[in-house]
Amino acid sequence: MDAAATEDPLTALLRRAGRGDQAAFAELYDALSPLVHGVVLKVVRDPAQSEEVAQEVFVELWRLAARFDETRGSVTSWVATVAHRRAIDRVRSEQSSRDRVARQVSNVGRDYDHVSEDVESKFDRVRVRRALERLTGVQREAVELAYFGGHTYREVAVLLEVAEGTVKTRIRDGMIRLRDELGGAA
Amino acid sequence: MSDIDIHHLAAAYALDALDARERAAFEAHYPSCDVCRADVLDFRSTLAVVAEAEAVAPPPDLRRRVLDEIAQTRQLSPHLPSGVTDLAERRRRRQRTAATVVAAAAAAGLFTAGALIMNGGDSPAYATELAKVLDQSDARLVTLDGGGDGRVRIAWSGGAERAVLLADDLPEAPDGMAYELWLIDEQGPVPMNVLDRADGGEIRDAIVIDGDAESEPTAWGITLEPAAGSASPTGDILYAATV
Repeated sequence: MDAAATEDPLTALLRRAGRGDQAAFAELYDALSPLVHGVVLKVVRDPAQSEEVAQEVFVELWRLAARFDETRGSVTSWVATVAHRRAIDRVRSEQSSRDRVARQVSNVGRDYDHVSEDVESKFDRVRVRRALERLTGVQREAVELAYFGGHTYREVAVLLEVAEGTVKTRIRDGMIRLRDELGGAA
Repeated sequence: MSDIDIHHLAAAYALDALDARERAAFEAHYPSCDVCRADVLDFRSTLAVVAEAEAVAPPPDLRRRVLDEIAQTRQLSPHLPSGVTDLAERRRRRQRTAATVVAAAAAAGLFTAGALIMNGGDSPAYATELAKVLDQSDARLVTLDGGGDGRVRIAWSGGAERAVLLADDLPEAPDGMAYELWLIDEQGPVPMNVLDRADGGEIRDAIVIDGDAESEPTAWGITLEPAAGSASPTGDILYAATV
């Protein structure tokens, strides 16, 4: 992984935002709103609810800006974590597991249209798709049901009709392989 | 959950694929575990790459709504750079707590070998303290809900400025972690005490509610914290009761 020799410009923006600089926060919004909205949409599915959750995520990022700790990962990594957690909280509070199970089964592997078309993000999409393809089928299935489906590993075990320990192992092995393929965000 | 199991939860944790209790247990564990901390950091950064590949621009008017709302939203203060200040405050608090109770016991002629039961070094005689609390006209007693594991009860009296905690069958805290009791009032959580859990999961602890807790408690809560204690809760609330 990259040595943090040059400071991530997002870190500088976040520090300014942490001191109440709304213009800096607006720049952060511009840089990160597609990521936040995209991951929330992928989990929550409903566009109107996804917008609401994305807004909650940014307000939370604003509130917590001064508490960002770069020894615990990059800004991008933190933002993705907060966004995913919020999306998960929304689906777990609003839908019974059974509803999500039924919908998720029909949605796994389905491709989504992406608005952004620049070469760099296209490159990233292909890279991620390739990396996911390197997982075994069962690893990929377990990781996707958890991350995009919003299921706990116990729920994934019920979905796949395998033991919880098996799912834990698939998730762990899948994530290790994904890490080896992708590394981390800058 | 055994210690071996918990090290294998980093990937599921990073995916937000743990249920609330396991999430709480893992959050209590991983900050003090080098392997798990590194795993969480790595997996989160890998998932950020996955998330970036899902990027979809939001509708343009979301920007204005977000910026309007943050303009009216107070930001939280930063965490202090290290735990030193907090720990110093905690040490003062604990010394004060122990000293006050010991002085009160001595003044009441109770300071005999049998009158103090020392749980972990600085806990006064809970039985005497409990009797004192229960004698007060404003004494209250609640059972904290912990979702199945163990039983925690608290008796307290604002008049006596005392609380006594009785816990049974509390699961063992992960290495380097300890249970911490919080009095929650209108201002938020006030740290009460790091609880010294005896073998078998029993805690008998008497606590002075000092001037920091100016209003009556609206709730009590217990979290898992680094063993030295925290100034504000960092773990999920494992046991709670509203008053």
